[in-house]
Amino acid sequence: MGSHETEPWLLENGNPKVLTREMRHGRTAHSRSSMSLRKKSDRTLVQKIRCALLRDLLSNVQEVILGTKLSILIPAVPLAIAAEIYGLARPWVFILSLLGLTPLAERVSFITEQVAFYTGPTVGGLLNATCGNVTELIIAIFALSSNKIAVVKYSLLGSILSNLLLVLGTSLLCGGIANRGVEKKYDRRQADVNSLMLLLGLLCYLLPMLFNYSAASPALTADPSLYLSRASSIVMLIAYFAYIVFQLWTHRELFEAEDEDEDGNKDSEEQAVIGLWSGIAWLVGMTVFIALLSEYVVDTIEDASDSWGLSVSFLSIILLPIVGNAAEHAGAIIFAFKNKLDITLGVALGSATQIAMFVVPLCVTVAWIMGVKMDLNFNLLETGSVALAIIVTGFTLQDGTYHYMKGLVLLLCYVVIGACFFVQRTPLNQADVTNFTLKPATNAVLGA
Amino acid sequence: MAHHTMEEDLNIAPPPQAQNLTSSMVTKKWPFLVTKGRFQLLRNFRANLQKVIFGTKLAVLFPAVPLAVVADFYSLGRPWIFALSLLGLTPLAERVSFLTEQIAYYTGPTVGGLLNATCGNATEMIISLLALYQNKVNVVKFSLLGSILSNLLLVLGSSLLCGGLANLRKEQLYDRKQADVNSLLLLLGLLCHLLPLMFRYALAGEYASIATSTLQLSRASSIVMLIAYAAYIFFQLKTHRQIFDAQEEDESEDGEKAVIGFWSAFTWLVGMTLIISLLSEYIVATIEAASDSWGISISFISIILLPIVGNAAEHAGSIIFAFKNKLDISLGVAMGSATQISMFVVPLSVVVAWTMGIEMDLDFKLLETGCLALTIIVTAFTLQDGTSHYMKGLVLFLCYIIISACFFVQKTPLIDDA
Repeated sequence: MGSHETEPWLLENGNPKVLTREMRHGRTAHSRSSMSLRKKSDRTLVQKIRCALLRDLLSNVQEVILGTKLSILIPAVPLAIAAEIYGLARPWVFILSLLGLTPLAERVSFITEQVAFYTGPTVGGLLNATCGNVTELIIAIFALSSNKIAVVKYSLLGSILSNLLLVLGTSLLCGGIANRGVEKKYDRRQADVNSLMLLLGLLCYLLPMLFNYSAASPALTADPSLYLSRASSIVMLIAYFAYIVFQLWTHRELFEAEDEDEDGNKDSEEQAVIGLWSGIAWLVGMTVFIALLSEYVVDTIEDASDSWGLSVSFLSIILLPIVGNAAEHAGAIIFAFKNKLDITLGVALGSATQIAMFVVPLCVTVAWIMGVKMDLNFNLLETGSVALAIIVTGFTLQDGTYHYMKGLVLLLCYVVIGACFFVQRTPLNQADVTNFTLKPATNAVLGA
Repeated sequence: MAHHTMEEDLNIAPPPQAQNLTSSMVTKKWPFLVTKGRFQLLRNFRANLQKVIFGTKLAVLFPAVPLAVVADFYSLGRPWIFALSLLGLTPLAERVSFLTEQIAYYTGPTVGGLLNATCGNATEMIISLLALYQNKVNVVKFSLLGSILSNLLLVLGSSLLCGGLANLRKEQLYDRKQADVNSLLLLLGLLCHLLPLMFRYALAGEYASIATSTLQLSRASSIVMLIAYAAYIFFQLKTHRQIFDAQEEDESEDGEKAVIGFWSAFTWLVGMTLIISLLSEYIVATIEAASDSWGISISFISIILLPIVGNAAEHAGSIIFAFKNKLDISLGVAMGSATQISMFVVPLSVVVAWTMGIEMDLDFKLLETGCLALTIIVTAFTLQDGTSHYMKGLVLFLCYIIISACFFVQKTPLIDDA
């Protein structure tokens, strides 16, 4: 724990910021999970610099840029920009941007957590609840402005699938294997509320799709489906707002992660390590970089798809979310190893709920404002996958215990869904992709 | 099993079923009619009248009944007849359940329970039979479906929401076994609805006469559903009664005695049923005119408007019990009613249609069956842990809002409609 004399920036706001007991309780699962990837920064090199201002600046930079194990991927950021400027092959721009997004996403959550030290647990929780998935949000908005509605829908859907099946599955699997012989429990009430929200979201995705199939011709239902989607989005945002009130105010105790036995010997200190204003400055800067890389990703996704022979839907549903969620994923597994499954569930389920009930309806609303016609019809195959993912996860988590078999089943579900989208090579350029095998049956029914 | 002490003294009253208690909650005393009156007979009649007609807060809607009859007689605008008939049905439905409860005091618990089980949804049954008679099969299907949706999402959701907000700091528990049995029966009903639907989609083009096969499947399923319902009645009233008894430690401000005589209750019941039939006939006859005039689709009126009106009394009672943290009763009302409609009224309608020679099957179309499937899954999931908080109620309620929005925007012609 550094002493205050050599870290003057901590006294920026007049008093050193230390985590009090109630603030510690306010730390959400999300922030605690990303802490597991932190590295203790080695300040000895920086201390040797004489000039105080330069020393402070370099310490700040070291803390932010190098403070995580994922920092090795940071060079991908300038490389991607260079590749774009010099007109290198588009697939290279795509892959470098993807690699660069991973550490940026993790750093943004770190800085958000630091800012939360100053603003208190409730605002911190709010910040996390809205900005927790900033990468997905920015990618989606860029795709919307390029009118690539399918990419928006599939990347968000893939994020839900990845959180529910991949992250949760690997965590339960690893946690189950590592803690054999120990009693493995978690509080099921948190999982229940999240599953309920996901089921509400599923209803909102299902109805426009059924609407489309139930009518005599799809052209007739485009407008009503759009109105329904927009109305559903508003309802979903209301529900998410109520969920935030529930989580951060009235039923806070359901969502607290327990931390009785790990206070003494934690290697990362409970203090903020950067000042409030520097934190905000970093946040703005990082968001600008994320926006830049996201724009590259959205622009080059078709070229990468053509060049590698993988469908755009596979890239959007499987590849993008794996990269975007990598930091959360690692953190969730680490906490599962320690048998602290409440935190893992908070991360995985909370993130899935946030995307399903906040980011998706927000995109529909933003599209409404932009004049883009995005509805909630995610087409049969994708909606079916999400429906079964939600039902399987809800069922798995409803008894409050876990073992490695549960994790394995969820993980294998994800593999199967991945295989499904891998073999699906239908073109995604038109506005709605219809499932070709269902059409003849429907036509026959119409004629009958 | 909790027994009220007065009940043991009197030895005639049955332990109140959930639906009976709800009816007594909306009962109110309007005493002004009883005091004056010289003749014994007249006084008795007035007392009787007061208890039956004015014994509820919903009595304010009673004037809609004669107004509806007048409107039909003088051929006022058909939408007006529709609206007035709807309003008139609300207090009538509540009074029928009150009268059923009174008769149950005389016939003993078993027959009383049976009576309650069959008459609890008298309005829906009568509307369905009349619509069948006029060959409006879609109105039947949609109004029954809407009743299930309304019970599971609207009534249950608003009860859990209000109960959760009112009891924010208290722990809200209920016995999940009752909810489990109901969920199980609803899932059986869902299977019976899904199979004709999937049959139609899967085998289209391979069979020359899909319609006949679907019809035969539906009729066979209906008989199975009626058998299941009979077993459920047996389970509820005989063998596993203790699961379904409502908690009753500290309430019932009116005594456990019947307040009107058996034959007068019976007479009133017959009379009210006749008036309900009349108003239902008006509703079924004028539904298309109202739909055209108001610009709302028939499916929206059948699925959303009719059930809200028909269930208003149960709805209010359910919310009141949730406020008092007696969730077992609210659940008994909402889920019991949904099970009754799904496993009794629907197959009964199919069987009656069979005898009438009308081709009604259990295929409720893709969108409606999808809504039903997700509703049953969400409700079963919500109720399976035995606790409640306001988020659960809010989610159910918002599901209902979204389903209403869906049927509101649906103005396009469906694949095949009557």
